[in-house]
Amino acid sequence: MSTEKEMGYFYTDWASMTVNDWVGLIVTVTVALVLAVAYFLVFNPKNKEQLESQRYLVDGVEGEKFLAENSIHGENK
Amino acid sequence: MEAAEKYDFSAVRWFSIAAVVYLVVGTLVGFYIAAELAWPVLNLDLPYTTFGRLRPLHTNAVIFAFGGSTLMATAFYSVQRTCGTRIWSPGMAWFTFWGWNLIIVSAVITLPLGITQGKEYAELEWPIDLAIAVVWLSFFINFVMTLVNKKTSHIYVSNWFFLGMLVMITYLHVVNSLAIPVSLFKSYSLFSGVQDAMIQWWWGHNAVGFYLTAGFLGIMYYFVPKQANRPVYSYRLSVIHFWALMFGYVWLGAHHLQYTALPDWTGSLGAAVSLAMIIPSWGGAVNGMMTLSGAWDKLRDDYILRFLIVSLAFYAMSTFEGPVMSVKTVNALSHYTDWTIGHVHSGALGWVAMVAAGALYHLVEKLWNTKMYSPALVNLHFWLATIGAVVYITAMWVSGIMQGLMWRDYDEYGTLSYTFAESVAAMMPYYKMRAIGGLIYWLGGVVMLYNVVVTVATAKDRQA
Ligand code: HEM
Ligand SMILES: [Fe+2]
Repeated sequence: MSTEKEMGYFYTDWASMTVNDWVGLIVTVTVALVLAVAYFLVFNPKNKEQLESQRYLVDGVEGEKFLAENSIHGENK
Repeated sequence: MEAAEKYDFSAVRWFSIAAVVYLVVGTLVGFYIAAELAWPVLNLDLPYTTFGRLRPLHTNAVIFAFGGSTLMATAFYSVQRTCGTRIWSPGMAWFTFWGWNLIIVSAVITLPLGITQGKEYAELEWPIDLAIAVVWLSFFINFVMTLVNKKTSHIYVSNWFFLGMLVMITYLHVVNSLAIPVSLFKSYSLFSGVQDAMIQWWWGHNAVGFYLTAGFLGIMYYFVPKQANRPVYSYRLSVIHFWALMFGYVWLGAHHLQYTALPDWTGSLGAAVSLAMIIPSWGGAVNGMMTLSGAWDKLRDDYILRFLIVSLAFYAMSTFEGPVMSVKTVNALSHYTDWTIGHVHSGALGWVAMVAAGALYHLVEKLWNTKMYSPALVNLHFWLATIGAVVYITAMWVSGIMQGLMWRDYDEYGTLSYTFAESVAAMMPYYKMRAIGGLIYWLGGVVMLYNVVVTVATAKDRQA
């Protein structure tokens, strides 16, 4: 399956990587990994309640008061 | 009136009115240059009124005058409300207001005179660039210090987006504007050649990504839940929306430079990350729209909410179209054509200006403690804006794709089928259609201005 052309697409001349190339490569790969972790944490059902309770905070102090006075745990949507 | 003592909205009021005025002025200039393309005699044979000089006046007016005033009004308002605290320095907010307006005036003077750095969306010459940096920093500092003084333990989502914009625009503006002045009104960029192109579109793309998108998402996350009187649909989607945009958007710039002197891989990277942006963007759009889940009937008679929700439909549309256009094979057709202009305006007219209009109506009602003088006129504005935007976008899609196809068409001998002039002639009906779409959109803005002015003028009487 893997033709020479396709392999050529992935060929990298590592020896000619400049400092800029390395910085860019490392930053983009790191960002991609960090985002993958973020997706994992955020969509893990275990963290759902804790995160979703913060939806009410648009009302500033009132929102926090509301959260403190009303147990909204388990409520979702 | 408890709110009146707790917060300081004096500069916010002026920013709100200014935003509506600049919406009308900016789109009027846009209509005029659209008409110049349709009826070239309107260039008037004067250098000051040619398309080339008025186009940057239009983009600066809508992006910086209208968009900037809207962002400053909404950010200074919502940061106080969400943090339960007064703005750190009301005096500094006034400084931001007058400084920003002074910059706008200097743009209105210098651009028609042809004084420009020739950098797209960053045309203003170096002394004005310095002023922009100072005034922007005053906005930044005041916002951050207000956050620091917050009475809440959390920082609400809208503030993350505003903060992301403030940090990134400062960085982008400073780097992109680095230049060596040779006289008061002339400077040369520190960058040249391919670096200059890359820096230019790193700025250009992120002016869209952080100013016209992140900033206006800050608006969305505050005003949609407030106007709908419901909490935002999902906090988790907000988290993903935010972090993926912050770390993803910065890599997209190269999609403006496909098939140029840039290394090929930068374009591929730009396209790949652009495609990845569909997920958070749609997550965000869904998050805003689903805030109405279970209360869709509100849309029937709350016209302000309608602006906010329809803007999200346009946001979803343009953040799908953008990634598609980033792909090299599509870009080979769309680049340099009116398709790009169609895309820009589904973002600008559909998303940015509609969410802004919704937020500004909401603000006017809160700031003057009244209801809009005429809900019917809000509804009329809504329809004029929607129809105007759709007419505009459709005209540019058709003309853009036609343009792209005409340019690349060749006969059996390999000779181009059409001359460039023929493709220009073929555009004329669509340029007229676009001008009409723009006129309709502008009329909507005029209706808004009238409604806002009457609302403010009669607010006291109608409170009784
Ligand atoms: C994920 C989201 C988006 C992506 C990936 C994207 C991608 C693109 C691409 C590929 C182009 C054409 C580049 C060219 O061929 O010259 C473009 C142009 C443009 N887009 Fe987007 N876009 C997105 C969202 C938006 C939004 C929401 C707006 C809001 C106003 C917007 C405003 C613009 C502007 C102003 C230009 C014109 C730049 C120029 O002057 O050439 N875009 N975008
Ligand atoms: Fe872009």
